[in-house]
Amino acid sequence: MAIKDVLLYPNPILKGLCVPIDRLDETVIQLLQDLVDTMVAAGHSVGVAAPQIGDTRRAVVVDVSHSKLGKKQENHGLLQMVNPKIIEREGQTVVREGCMSVPDYTGNVTRAERIVVQFQDQDQQLQVITADGFEAIAIQHEIDHLDGYLFLDRVSSLKTDLFRRK
Amino acid sequence: MRHFALTIIGRDRAGIVSEVTSVLYQLGCNIADSSCSILGGQFSMILIISHPELHDQQSLSEAFTPLEQNGLSVFLRTLKPGGEEHPEMQGEICMISVYGADKPGIVYRVARELGERQINITDLNTKLIGAKDAPVYVMMIEAILNQGIEIEEVENWMAGLKAELKVDISVRSITPMEL
Repeated sequence: MAIKDVLLYPNPILKGLCVPIDRLDETVIQLLQDLVDTMVAAGHSVGVAAPQIGDTRRAVVVDVSHSKLGKKQENHGLLQMVNPKIIEREGQTVVREGCMSVPDYTGNVTRAERIVVQFQDQDQQLQVITADGFEAIAIQHEIDHLDGYLFLDRVSSLKTDLFRRK
Repeated sequence: MRHFALTIIGRDRAGIVSEVTSVLYQLGCNIADSSCSILGGQFSMILIISHPELHDQQSLSEAFTPLEQNGLSVFLRTLKPGGEEHPEMQGEICMISVYGADKPGIVYRVARELGERQINITDLNTKLIGAKDAPVYVMMIEAILNQGIEIEEVENWMAGLKAELKVDISVRSITPMEL
């Protein structure tokens, strides 16, 4: 069990592409545990991706069940995801996001409303789940980290875009 | 380091940002925070700038003279020490949409409800839209709710105004998802 420091931009690891995990060995279990510990230690944030703690393998953890917004809707509780991949996206929603790796800034980001995501869990089982709302947004945000995307790369509007559409 | 608030406004056209930032760059000014947008037909720039050595507002102001000659209005103000720092603000962020047939007092009445309760407005946009013979006023307010105030409470404050001003008002939380 280890709480890791969350890397801050401009650390180059946050802009790199993470590598797939071939074998779910002890080091991967350790990585997942570190991600969970770090997430809980950060005032129970709703997710952490491996590159945020300096590991460039494709793993994220998400848990919206403790957050004010996530609690209100059905969710999967703690998700430990190895090689997660979004295989279906549906709908569109704009949400204001912030990120532990980019402190003091938030932006409006367009995300899919509902996603189907496949991944290997901590017990090496292949899972395919459908996530909605806040949980779907959190998963998309964390998977973006594995591809070197920050929410800054996804900002869709400056403040209220009502005034910009013409 | 001395900080200044710089406001520049002028009829919108291509090249304004380039001209302004060229002057700032050549002076050696830093742009800390800035926000620029088109209001009416005017491009409006608000910037917090600083300079490592220049402390004298007069000498900075003179550098902007060419901009004035290009049809831009420039206003510079020296900030008191600490005036450049963003205050720590805790609390839920809410968005209040107010829209309806244009009439006097929409901005004032809504702002008064918030001001009287010490609610801090952090962003405000208004725009006149719709047909010439049926103008519609739209206002978007972002405000930080003081500890313990719920969205429902804000809705209650606005309920009376809806009837009084005959406008539609909706309130929702836009507190960022911290991920």
